[in-house]
This record gives sequence, C-alpha cells and structure tokens, in this order.
Amino acid sequence: MTSIGTGYDLSNSIFSPDGRNFQVEYAIKAVENGGTSIGIRCKDGVILAVEKIITSKLLKKGANKRIATVDRNFGVAFSGLIPDGRHFVSRAREEASSWRSLYKSPIPTASLAERLGSYVQMYTLYQYVRPFGITAIVGGWDSEGELEVDGQVGSGSKTGGGGKVPGINSGGPGLYMIEPSGLYWGYYGAATGKGRQAAKSELEKLDLAAETLSLEQGVKEAARIIYIAHEDSKDKEFELEMTWISKRDGPTKGRHEQVPKDILEEAEKAAKKALEGEDEEEAVAETMEE
Amino acid sequence: MNHLPQAWGRPRDDIYGAYDHSYLQSSGPITHTQKPVVTGTSVLAVKFKDGVVIAADNLGGLRKSCTDLLLVNADIWVEASYGSLARFTDVKRLRSFNSTSVIGIGGDVSDMQYIDRLLNSLSITESHSSDGHILSAANLHTYLSKVMYKRRTDINPLWNQILVAGLDGDEKPFLASVDLLGTTFSSPTLATGFGAHLAQPLLRQVVGSEEDVPSITREKAVEAIKECMKVLFYRDARSIDRYSIAVVTKAGGVELKEDEQLEGQSWAFAETIRGYGTQVA
Amino acid sequence: MFRNNYDNDAVTFSPQGRIFQVEYAQEAVKQGSVVVGIVSKTHAVLLGLKRNAEELSSYQKKIIELDSHFGLALAGLASDARVLSNFMKQQALASKMTYGRPLPIERVINQIADRAQWNTQMAGKRPYGVGLLVAGVDETGPHLFEFSPSGMTQEMAACAIGARSQMARTYLERHLSEFEGASRDELVKHGLRALKESLAQDKELTVENTSVGVVGRAADGKRKIESFKLYDGPEVSALLDASLESTDVPAEGGPAAETGAATQGDPSTAPGDSMDVDT
Repeated sequence: MTSIGTGYDLSNSIFSPDGRNFQVEYAIKAVENGGTSIGIRCKDGVILAVEKIITSKLLKKGANKRIATVDRNFGVAFSGLIPDGRHFVSRAREEASSWRSLYKSPIPTASLAERLGSYVQMYTLYQYVRPFGITAIVGGWDSEGELEVDGQVGSGSKTGGGGKVPGINSGGPGLYMIEPSGLYWGYYGAATGKGRQAAKSELEKLDLAAETLSLEQGVKEAARIIYIAHEDSKDKEFELEMTWISKRDGPTKGRHEQVPKDILEEAEKAAKKALEGEDEEEAVAETMEE
Repeated sequence: MNHLPQAWGRPRDDIYGAYDHSYLQSSGPITHTQKPVVTGTSVLAVKFKDGVVIAADNLGGLRKSCTDLLLVNADIWVEASYGSLARFTDVKRLRSFNSTSVIGIGGDVSDMQYIDRLLNSLSITESHSSDGHILSAANLHTYLSKVMYKRRTDINPLWNQILVAGLDGDEKPFLASVDLLGTTFSSPTLATGFGAHLAQPLLRQVVGSEEDVPSITREKAVEAIKECMKVLFYRDARSIDRYSIAVVTKAGGVELKEDEQLEGQSWAFAETIRGYGTQVA
Repeated sequence: MFRNNYDNDAVTFSPQGRIFQVEYAQEAVKQGSVVVGIVSKTHAVLLGLKRNAEELSSYQKKIIELDSHFGLALAGLASDARVLSNFMKQQALASKMTYGRPLPIERVINQIADRAQWNTQMAGKRPYGVGLLVAGVDETGPHLFEFSPSGMTQEMAACAIGARSQMARTYLERHLSEFEGASRDELVKHGLRALKESLAQDKELTVENTSVGVVGRAADGKRKIESFKLYDGPEVSALLDASLESTDVPAEGGPAAETGAATQGDPSTAPGDSMDVDT
C-alpha cells in the first residue's frame, strides 16, 4: 500500500489518484484479523461454522453465540468487528421483517443478500460513516413447499381462478458472502477471516459444485475445515460454533438452528482425529526424507 | 355482551335505545372500523388438570345486515345485502403461538389476520434470541391485552374477542380472554360469541370453578367441548359442522387439528320445536 | 496534538484495520475505579470500589439497581453509565408492562450493545466512555455480562474492569472453579477478595469505599427470585468482616501483575488486544 500517508486514506468515500478507496481496504484488514467463518451449501441444506477464539478464561463456556438467526430460515456468520456484525444482523432482520410486511411471505435468500449488499455499500459512500469491519456469510433455505401467505386463514379455492396447480416446487439452499465494499457473490463454499486461505483450499477439494454433499457429511467437513483453519493460530484456544438449515423434511424443518451438541461433538472428534492423522503422515514423511 | 359481533362494543339497545347512526356519517371526524364484515363467532375453551382444550368452527360468515356498495354501471351504486351468508367454510380460527400456547379468535376475520401477522412477527423476534426464554400463554395474553387496549384507546379497535389457552410460566393450565375493548378476564371455562350464551353454561356444569380443574381429565374436557360444538351447530344459525380443536399440555405441547367433523348428530329434537318459519302451531 | 492521523474520530480505520477512538474510549474505562462481578449457579454479585473527588465530597456511586432482578456496576464515565442505565430501567419496566415478565438480561445487553456500536460508526458521535458489568437473574438463571465502549458484550463467569483490575482478574481466574457451586456468602467473600487484590498499596476496603450488590434465585421454585440487594455504607461492614476474617487469602499480586492492566504504549504499535477482533 504505497499510498498510505498521502492523505487519501484518511476519510471514507475518498478515491486515491489510482482509484482506490483506502478506508474500505482498511476495513478488510479488520476482517482478516478475525476468527475464521465458513459456509457450505449442501444439496439438502446449508451449514455455517465459526472459529471463536477464547479471549479470556473468565468467559462463560458455550455462551456468547456468534451465528445469528434472521427471520426463521437464515443464518448469518461473520468475521471481523463483532459489534459491526451485530449491526449487520439487525439490519438483516429489519429487511426480512419489512419484506414480510409488504409481501406477506418470507424473503428469498438472494433478495436478502442483495438488500444487505446495498446496505453495506452505502457505508462506503459517505464521509460521516465508516465501512463495516466485517465480511458476512448469509446462508438460507428457501421453502420448497407450497408458500403460505402470512395470516392466511383458509386454503383458498380448490379449483378455477385462484385454484392451485399441484406439484410445483421451487426453493432450495442459498449461500452468499458480503464484503465491506458491499460486493457480494453466491457461493458453494465460502470462507473469510484469518484462516480463509486454508479453509478455501479445503472447500475447493470438496467439489461442492456437483451438489452431492449431504448435510450430515457437510457437518463433518465444516468441523474439519475450521480445525485446519485454526492451525495457524494454534497457540490460542477456540470454540467451534456451528449452525445449519435443512430442507423441510430434514432435521431442522427449514429453520436455522444450532447443530445439536451430540452431532457437533462427534464431528469435532473426527476433525481432531483427521488432523492428528495428517500430523503423523507428515512425521512419517519427514523421517523418510531423513 | 351481545353474541352478534356487530353489536360488540356498542351500548345495549334495550337499555340505551337504538344506536344513533347519525354519528356514522361519512363526512365529519375521521372514523375507523364501525362494523365487522366477515366474522367468525364462537370459540370455546376449558381447562383440565394437565392443560387446556380449545375449539372453534371453521366458518367465516358475512354478517346479517352487511351491505356493500356495488357498482352496477358507470355511475350507479346500489346496496347489496348478503343476508347471513356462510361465505368462507375453511377459516382456521385457532393459531398455535409456540409449544405452550394457542389462541382462538372470534369476530372480524381480517382483524384476526392482522393479529396473526402480529404474532408471527413476535414469534420470529422471540426466536432470534436463543437464550432459552419463551413467552408463556400468560405473557402472550398480557401482550394481546395491551395491543387490544391500545387500539380501543385509539378508537380504532380490532373487532375481536380472543381466548388465550395454554400454560403459564409455572407450566400450569392458563386460560384468559381479551376483547375489542381491552377488557380481560379469566375463568376455567370461556366462550366467545353465541357460545358465551349457549356453551358457557354447559361447560360450567362440567367445570364449575377453579377447584374442579384438578379432577377433570383430558378426555372429559374434550368430550365437553365437542358436545358444546354440537349444540352450537344445532342452535346457532351462524355456525357450521367443521371445526378446529387444540389440546395444550406440558407433555404433548400443542396438538392442533384443523379439519374435524361433528360426529353423532341427531336432529330429532327439531321436530319438537314450534313457533318459527311457516309453522302455524 | 494527535498521535497519528487515524485517531481523530471513530469513523476512520487505521491501515491495520483498527479504530483508535474506540480504543481510547476503552482507556477511559481503565481510569475508573475497579468493579468486580461473579456468578454462581444461584447468585450473581457485583462489587465496586468507590472513589471520592476530595476528602469532603461524597463517594461516586458504582452499583445501580435496574430492576428487582438485575443491576449494574460501572467503571469509567459515570454520566454515560447513567444514560445507559436509564435506558435499561425503561426497558425493564416495558417488559413487565407489555408481557408481564422480567426482562431477559441478555436481550437488554444486546440493546445497549447496538446503541454503543452505532456511536462508533457515525461521525459527530463519540463512543461511550464507560464499561459495565451487568448482573442479574431471569427465568433462565443468574447471568453476568460485560459491556465495553466498542459495543462488545460478553457473558462471563466472572469479570473485573477498571483501574488495576488485572490483579482482580488474576484472582478470579485462579478461583474460577469454585464459583459455580459457591453459596451466596462465599460468592460475596470471593468478590471482596478479588476487589482487595486491585487496591493500591496504601488503600483498604472500608464501609465508605465499598459497595456490594447481590441478586439470586430463591431457594424454592425456578421463578422466585431473591431481589437485588445493594449494600452500601454501614451494611457493608458485616460483609467486610466476614470476607476478611479467614486469612487464606493468597498474598501475591504485587507490582509485577500490573503489566497487563495498563497497555498504554503507542497504540499504533501495541498489540490490538482491546479491539474486538478475536485474534
């Protein structure tokens, strides 16, 4: 960053002569210092996981949940400044709620991501605000069932005008990642925070684009990837927090929930074992080299 | 209170004389709802030792004197009367809020839909904190009473009577009512609309007071409710024989069935009734 | 006047992604006298060391009751704490009025966290200059939360903030395993001892300078509570006597333990431990 100190980086919304908005780049620095967050889009649901670094022994164990629920069917995980993440989540909840009051139905994941992208982008435009110091991963499941209208009291006409055509389904998993610039993309597997490089390379090995990975397998992979991403900051303890959203006849019935304790513990155990295995392989390889 | 929803919230004709409709002119001060349009009536509920049973029929009828302005050609509006039309026959008037409460709503159906959305929004907001707190039926009733009283004070009432059935914070059976005036009360048996006249006395024969509740079984409570639904169908022209029923208990949560059919009907008693229609003796 | 160009306001990131104005606000917390909070399975306690501006003035209040089921202890700008505590009192009343239930503590914490965050993202505002420990009992049991000017809030098993609080935290970490099962009296005793650790060499805990707040679950029933009780002045003396009578207080915590308390070096080079990036 050669232009640091030239004055173009002192205020938000200012372009430098070479066309950069430095305050946004600095916000990304805050993200890159944060614990790793990942999202995996499976064929029958979405998984979110975060590496929560334990900053003090005095913290209550297992409390301080970081992945937030929006409406009923979305989860938001983020890396960076935690209070900024809470602001982002409040806005997401407002968007979902205002969508409902207008359309009487839940907001689709794509629309939620679009609105949040616009909101975050607004914080790059003005000198009186600063950009969000987070990158957020938004996962959701759009109902594949018949969409009920909020406040609907009956089942409507059975035939004729307003009658229903049976067997038409839409919906499915959605996963988006929104950056401090307001930029967002849809992902099969997303990672951000300190360990994002290691996490990304692991996600790429999963061939998620084939859309064959199940939610149950996904939980194991997510745990393993967070453990791998943590390798670089091994000196610090961490808690793994994981949530999921399944399809309607899956374990969460289309809602965003914490992954149950027993399933999570099993996945963590497997993750630790896999890591030990790798270490042993490395050790073996080293001895052979000798 | 009169059982007809359109009379709710008004001074009684037999005491205060006929309502002065000059107050209902279209010019003048801002007015809000003056009458309900599509209505449901009876909701019945009774406590038993482990919980509460609540039921309502699935009818949304147009009120007897409901007149709408219909445009018959470019500039002629005429009034059309629906009589007492059983217009909507699959209106679900029971709504579960969470695993410990169900509400049943009588009165205006569109206001009921508004309340439904309000509660949906509340339940979403509640689910955002995974801190283990849930709103009990008692909390929900307090909330609804504030909503109803606020609207009445704004002179823009939600034209409903609501029964809240479920478990309170101590997981004990809870049953209470709030109406369009924001008036609240509680009793081991409650009924709205025509049911307040016809079913309430019958339910009180089963559960006379709060002290009786611990001796009432679930079966007995369900049976009493079903019997009352039948009597209402016999006697109340504005009811139908399809209904919803819910049982709330600690063990079973909310068990809601929304498309039940009245069983064992017998119309033999009709033969003995005289003095209406074309009958002469 | 400024240490660097990036610390003029709360809406400027440094090249490292830090917000100095927020970090400076956290320093204001360290200027306040120490407060301690501990939670057990049944109780939550708050303890504070009060200061007076001069010999003849009164002592600054450190613990505030917010409702019968919770209260707070503050370190830093007391007037900022008053704004936040008034807000929390209103929310507590609103919860009782609207739902007929005691306000869940985590939720009001989240609300003040959101307010504080907004002050760090808008020009013309300043971050709150106060840290809070909020302790109470709700339908899910006793809780203790730490609030800091950045808008960061965390649920804690025990916590100490304010001047020289590192020594109190060291005490708390050492005795952490004893808190969960501790009785009401034991909890107060631990709290007072932790508080004592943070005293300057020539200072002592007295009825004038010590405040204690206790709230708990009543022995019978999950919904019954033992209301928030503030011990100030003469009432404290019995607690002080009880906590200091036995002499098994660990005697360390000398000047060496001071190092962690005040990281007041150049913020552009200091490790970003006060930022809420969980590095």
